[in-house]
Amino acid sequence: MHSVLVRVQNVFGFFTTVAFSVAAVIALSTFIHPQTPSATVALSNVQVVRGRPHYYSYKKEEYAHVKFDMDADLSTLFNWNTKQVFLYLKAVYPSTKAGEPSSEAIIWDAILPGAAAPYNQNHFLHPLPKGTKPPKSRKPKSGESTSPYPRGVLKLKNQRPKYQITDMTGKLQNRTDARLELGWNVQPWVGAQVWTNWQDLGMWKALEGGRSEVFAFPAIGAKKKVDTSTEKGKEGHRLEAGGEQPRRNNV
Amino acid sequence: MADQLLEQVRDAVEGQIDFEGQRLAELITTVLLGGVGILAFLVGFMSQDIKLALYIGLAGTGLTFLAVVPPWPFYNKNPEGWLPARSAAAGISIDVDGQKVG
Repeated sequence: MHSVLVRVQNVFGFFTTVAFSVAAVIALSTFIHPQTPSATVALSNVQVVRGRPHYYSYKKEEYAHVKFDMDADLSTLFNWNTKQVFLYLKAVYPSTKAGEPSSEAIIWDAILPGAAAPYNQNHFLHPLPKGTKPPKSRKPKSGESTSPYPRGVLKLKNQRPKYQITDMTGKLQNRTDARLELGWNVQPWVGAQVWTNWQDLGMWKALEGGRSEVFAFPAIGAKKKVDTSTEKGKEGHRLEAGGEQPRRNNV
Repeated sequence: MADQLLEQVRDAVEGQIDFEGQRLAELITTVLLGGVGILAFLVGFMSQDIKLALYIGLAGTGLTFLAVVPPWPFYNKNPEGWLPARSAAAGISIDVDGQKVG
């Protein structure tokens, strides 16, 4: 410590040790922050269409367009060390060959920013519930919520997918036993990235729900599921089945 | 003249401190930086604000650099004196464990 240069080196060297130790303690401190994530995921509509991967392609593939409802409360994933949560919804369906793992394809994803995250245009903008006025158009400030709900709460109704999925084989119609499954990455400021917890881990409870009912990909061009649960839907079906057209008001 | 000036500049840049000062500088580094690290974590955790923790840590580090790096006068309170100069005629007498060597 006798000269300026040696003192600079000594102080800086010990600073790196302190910085690393504090970062390690911050990373560990997230484990005492309880997590109780819950989510209800349901299929709203699924259609299969034939298309091509790009304009000049000769290959035709089958694409599934999956609409879904989701009601999720992931607010406990956000603690002081959460930079952002990458949320994704995937369709999981068994492989055609026995013994092979099931196929997974992401149909929708979102980046949910933490409180300290600066504004980015890729952050998720929660669709506004019906009947609310959109805010004045301006850039939200850093850390400001862009959602009508608290941070980490999502209420999506008949949400369109971001990605239309296809299978390796290019065939997707009539595949059965498919499910929608929620997944996420919690990306911290310091420490390790954490995936969806399906099992309890200390104070972190497993994700409650997060999987939809089993569904099947319909055949191409299949008519929408007949709605027989309501009186109106039932009537329309009866008329159609009998070769009559339901009477419309505008003719 | 130029030599003297150069000597002064070199002294200022080197910023030497005495042995007691070195011990003190080492102690101040450890206590200040360690304390700042603990304080940054506690304040950040209490307010659940990681940016606050970062800024407290950086400010404390800056303070430590300021306190330790320049050769402040209190690091030079116990200067080590040179031995008195001897004339060559008197001979050199070196004591090693009570025995005359030179």
